[in-house]
Amino acid sequence: MIELRFHRDLYDGFAVDEAAKVYGAYAAMDLVREPETFVVRVTASSETIAGGIDERTLCAEMSNYALGLSIEKASQTAAAGVTTPEAPR
Amino acid sequence: MTDFTTTLGDGIVRMELEESLYPREALYGAAYVFIDRCYVHLDRGASGRIQVDLRLKAPGSAPEAEARAALEAMAVELQNEILGQAWRHQIMEENRSLLESIATRALGGGTGAAAGGSLDDLLAGVDGDAFEDPLGIAVSWEQKYAKKTDAATGPAGGEGGAS
Repeated sequence: MIELRFHRDLYDGFAVDEAAKVYGAYAAMDLVREPETFVVRVTASSETIAGGIDERTLCAEMSNYALGLSIEKASQTAAAGVTTPEAPR
Repeated sequence: MTDFTTTLGDGIVRMELEESLYPREALYGAAYVFIDRCYVHLDRGASGRIQVDLRLKAPGSAPEAEARAALEAMAVELQNEILGQAWRHQIMEENRSLLESIATRALGGGTGAAAGGSLDDLLAGVDGDAFEDPLGIAVSWEQKYAKKTDAATGPAGGEGGAS
């Protein structure tokens, strides 16, 4: 079992949830919300390990996925925050 | 003195940077660039610093010295990328009002508002001036060939000519 910690200031909660859901097919995921961090405990399934994927790589891939989604969500939020002028009538 | 701190570990390089000096967008932009080559993890360090961990995706069977060199190169590249992204962000912020103004004009023009109001106002601006022909080149097809027909048939007249 590997414990991943994602700081709430840097990672989006929905992104971490989504990453856990996507990689949930390969490992058992236990999500805990702490005051400052999202904690994900990952235990790779026996099929995953038998398939030649080690737990560390799986966690690293999941972490990358969560970061990528967090960045995309942050950029979408920033773009939506720009006030677009209302079209004149 | 640099505000980046780099620490090489076992197959991992950790960089720390001062959060107040670099916008979050720059850090995210740089991290995103490295996601396809490295495993990237962000975390908070001590007192307003952010940690960036990079681990090579495919260390392979390269000797340890080569792996260390690759990690060091990656760290330097990340520093450069963060600086580049910060600079782009600053330019973007400086030109934001200009970009918004261009977008406003483009959207306003699409709705017809940029033309100045109603269709009557628009037509009032294109009165007879648009059809002035100071060089005399605006000759209609009928005028051009009617003259030729008159010259060819002479004063006796006739129905010939271009049809």
